[in-house]
Amino acid sequence: MRRYRSRAFVSAMLTAMLVLAGCSGGTNSSPAGDGQSGGQTGNPGSSAGGGAEQVTLSMHSWRVEDAEGYKKIIQAFEAENPGIKIDFKPFKATEYNTILNTALQSDSGPDILQLRPYAPGISLAEAGHLEPLDQLPGIENFSKDVLAASTGKDGKVYGVPLSLNSTQIYYNKKLFEQNGLSEPKSWDELINTAKTLKDKGVVPFAFGAKEGWLLSLSHGVIAPGTYNGNAFVGKILNGEADFTSPEFVKSIQRMQELVPYFPENFVGLDLNDTRTMFFTEKAAMFINGSFELEGLQKMNPDLPLDFFPMPTDDGKTVLTTWVDGSYAVNAKSKHKAEALKFLEFMASKKFGELFANEFKRISAIPGVTTSDPLVNKMAELSASSSTPYLMVVHFAEGNPTTKQTLENALQGMYLNKLTPEQVSQEVQKSAASWFPTFKK
Amino acid sequence: MGVPEREHVQPKRKSKARWLLHLFPLPAFILYTLFVVYPILSAFTYSMYEWKGIARGAFVGLQNFLTLFQVEPFNKLFWNAFGHNVIYFLVEMVVQNGIAFILAFLIYRKIRGAGFLKIAYFMPRLLSVIVVGFLWKLILNPNYGALNTFLAKLGLEEWAKPWLGDPDTALLAIILVNCWFGIGFAVLIFLAGLQSIPEELIEAARLDGAKGITMLGRIILPLMMPSITIMTIFTFIQAFEAFELVYAMQGSMGEPFHSTDTLAVYFYRLAFSGSGGAGDVSIGLGSALAVVLFFIVASVSAFSLRVMRKREIQH
Amino acid sequence: MRAGIGRRSLQYLFAYLFVLVALYPIVLMVSSSVKTNAEIFTSPLALPKTFSLDTYRKLWEVVPFADFLMNSVVVSVTSVLLITVTSAMAAFYLARFSYRWTGLLYFFFLLGLMIPIKLGIVPLFLLMKKLGLLNSLWSLILIYTASGIPISVFILTGFFRTLPVELEEAARIDGCNHFQVFWRVLLPLIRPALGTVVIINFIHAWNDFFFPLIFIQDEALKTIPVGMMVLFGEYETDWSLLFAGLTLSALPMIAVFLIASRQFMEGLTAGAVK
Repeated sequence: MRRYRSRAFVSAMLTAMLVLAGCSGGTNSSPAGDGQSGGQTGNPGSSAGGGAEQVTLSMHSWRVEDAEGYKKIIQAFEAENPGIKIDFKPFKATEYNTILNTALQSDSGPDILQLRPYAPGISLAEAGHLEPLDQLPGIENFSKDVLAASTGKDGKVYGVPLSLNSTQIYYNKKLFEQNGLSEPKSWDELINTAKTLKDKGVVPFAFGAKEGWLLSLSHGVIAPGTYNGNAFVGKILNGEADFTSPEFVKSIQRMQELVPYFPENFVGLDLNDTRTMFFTEKAAMFINGSFELEGLQKMNPDLPLDFFPMPTDDGKTVLTTWVDGSYAVNAKSKHKAEALKFLEFMASKKFGELFANEFKRISAIPGVTTSDPLVNKMAELSASSSTPYLMVVHFAEGNPTTKQTLENALQGMYLNKLTPEQVSQEVQKSAASWFPTFKK
Repeated sequence: MGVPEREHVQPKRKSKARWLLHLFPLPAFILYTLFVVYPILSAFTYSMYEWKGIARGAFVGLQNFLTLFQVEPFNKLFWNAFGHNVIYFLVEMVVQNGIAFILAFLIYRKIRGAGFLKIAYFMPRLLSVIVVGFLWKLILNPNYGALNTFLAKLGLEEWAKPWLGDPDTALLAIILVNCWFGIGFAVLIFLAGLQSIPEELIEAARLDGAKGITMLGRIILPLMMPSITIMTIFTFIQAFEAFELVYAMQGSMGEPFHSTDTLAVYFYRLAFSGSGGAGDVSIGLGSALAVVLFFIVASVSAFSLRVMRKREIQH
Repeated sequence: MRAGIGRRSLQYLFAYLFVLVALYPIVLMVSSSVKTNAEIFTSPLALPKTFSLDTYRKLWEVVPFADFLMNSVVVSVTSVLLITVTSAMAAFYLARFSYRWTGLLYFFFLLGLMIPIKLGIVPLFLLMKKLGLLNSLWSLILIYTASGIPISVFILTGFFRTLPVELEEAARIDGCNHFQVFWRVLLPLIRPALGTVVIINFIHAWNDFFFPLIFIQDEALKTIPVGMMVLFGEYETDWSLLFAGLTLSALPMIAVFLIASRQFMEGLTAGAVK
């Protein structure tokens, strides 16, 4: 038997011993598995009710970082509705779609789910997975623009909007003051500001190109300054202009013009890296969303933080906004009545105030103010001088989506593989493949 | 269980035992068919349907396959990803398996501390891919990462790079991490192959005057061909199904600029949509890609297995 | 084959250089976990100046690590057990008897080596739902068992084939039936191959994050890798905490391997005496 000894390289693993010992009792293993299946017929979240009046609703979200805050909000609801318990389960944003889609496709899934805004979320309604909410008390308080994020092609509303997102340029007040700078009022001033900072040895923009979504997000801030906001958006939507129009090409060129003011190795930096650069005060500006505010303040409570909206070429300012995820009810939920009750709560002003103060976000519910001056400033600006985040609101369709196409092409531009003109051509090509107005 | 019972029927062994014999493969067969074969076959049928989001539509035959290979950008993305899988395979063969062979050979030639070496090389394989991806992302971080810091300490600042952000290095970086991860397993497979060579044969060859390269090329390599073939097949399958590490390090877009996209990542994106929520789900196209991927892997591995078994019979 | 001293030391250099390559990132992971965040940024390579287990204490507070650990153990051990027994039985049949269908059956199992099982996730989810196994550790055990069978059958069948037939014939003449031949004679002989099967499958079941992500929703039923994913999402910038999480999730597997590998060395020497 010496010949086989050599193969013994893992022979005496302790685990092997465990297994061998275990074998003696378990030759017939599959019935054990089947037997167990009989004992585990409980459906995960939705059927915990049983005979009692107590109903437990499962609620899925992609905001892992909000778990603590939701707990407080849910407590407020449960106090008023003793018969209903909410089981809030957040998943990592990047895996959320996979988990949700798999569950919905097999007719299970949570009772209440957070819905991606605009096209991606609406596609769930089209597949028949969502309950229409037109009759929900409180839904009438939202404006049509806000509801658009969760309105299907059939005209029905499928989600209660949660918050407005805005994107802007955050800046470090102290670093600006130390270098004698103030909020720029035009593109040229912005470039000069960046130049001054760079000369003084401060990184002007905490910016990274590793994560595509941050590129379209940053473009969403820069571009409306170039094409002066809403007028151009209207032209795109009715076909008078397209993505090869000079205004749009110029917006891409400006993204390139900023390169000298990005940190070293910016093509390899992700959100984590750039956020760290900004809150550790190594960089002076940070182009990002309202959803970063709470985190920034938490990471460095002493950060002298402010933001400015994008100056436009016609001398105004503009804040890019869109509606963030709304909440919807699963059409296959066993506890629809209770789930709708919770959504009714989410459409109330009380919820809006709890939400805005807890998360430092702009509530989608009209008239809600918070204790945070920056959030209030965002809310005011989004009411007075906002423009839609074009790629999310209108161009998140196609396969790959036009938004993804822009992200990928911008990444290509930063890697010197594409020119700004080529970027806009790619974007146009993608949009022309599905956008009705461009499709001839 | 049941053993004593069967002992009682020993006299009738011939007829009874023959029937019982067919029960041996049954548990494995049932579990494997139910939880592997059946789901995959159902997934394959999905490729023949039109899908609207996640709702199944009409039967469309081979339309999804045609789209995958004829319509831009799907065809471009397919060949782009396919090329990366090929690179993945080649680099792993050369770097991972090449180094592993040398290391296995050194251990075989009675290097001191062989036991420790085997454990040490195998150690990375014990980590979850999630952990490996995350750990290396931190090590390769352009500004705070250990690798660039290390290069700077050596005075090689100009060598420092945003490894995972530069399309010229990102794919290679991921593959090398994969080599780091898989080298220990390859060492063990090769070592088993080496140790299975009967010592008499080596001794006989030595008496005939073979040494060094001749010994290696004429005697050792041919005799350990089975383990080399197996390792090649494993590497091939692994390279063409490369997903988890790419996903853990670069996300589902194969960033930057699709320079790290692989077929399995592309599948994931088509079938489950990209990161951050944007993107249409296309289960039809995704399933079509899955079918193609399966046939690539299955045909190549089945072919090599056949060749190997023929060769084994010859011995 | 007398190697010169120079060549010999070159060989040692090469072999031990790779020890460094293999172990350094792991050492870095462990050492960073006891550093403070500031220390990780300023001197990522240096050994920790201060030794503090505070991050571990914090980690223990923010995630139910003991639950994760228990779940991982239950899932891995049970599926490895099932894989080993079922595959060994199937491999015995495939290697020792040749009916018209054995070749086909073997190929059928081998196909599984080439199936990326993730492609079937949606039908698999439906199946688990029908069986009422969603949000149950059994869903993981069954999928790991089923997907581990092909490679195990492959390895074990190959190994059974190398065993001389004479042994069984002798046993049969002694009056053993097929089952007894399998259990008493062959199984002990294929122990080395069983070890391989056990280790490969154990590592796979222990480290997989994809299936628990989809099948398990209860926090209390999560396995270590998924639990850690949540941690990565929630504490993105607390590097020290993340390194502690990474270390803690790798530690049990490393410990098992180290204990087992000592056993393995003893096994080798014991075999040599025989």
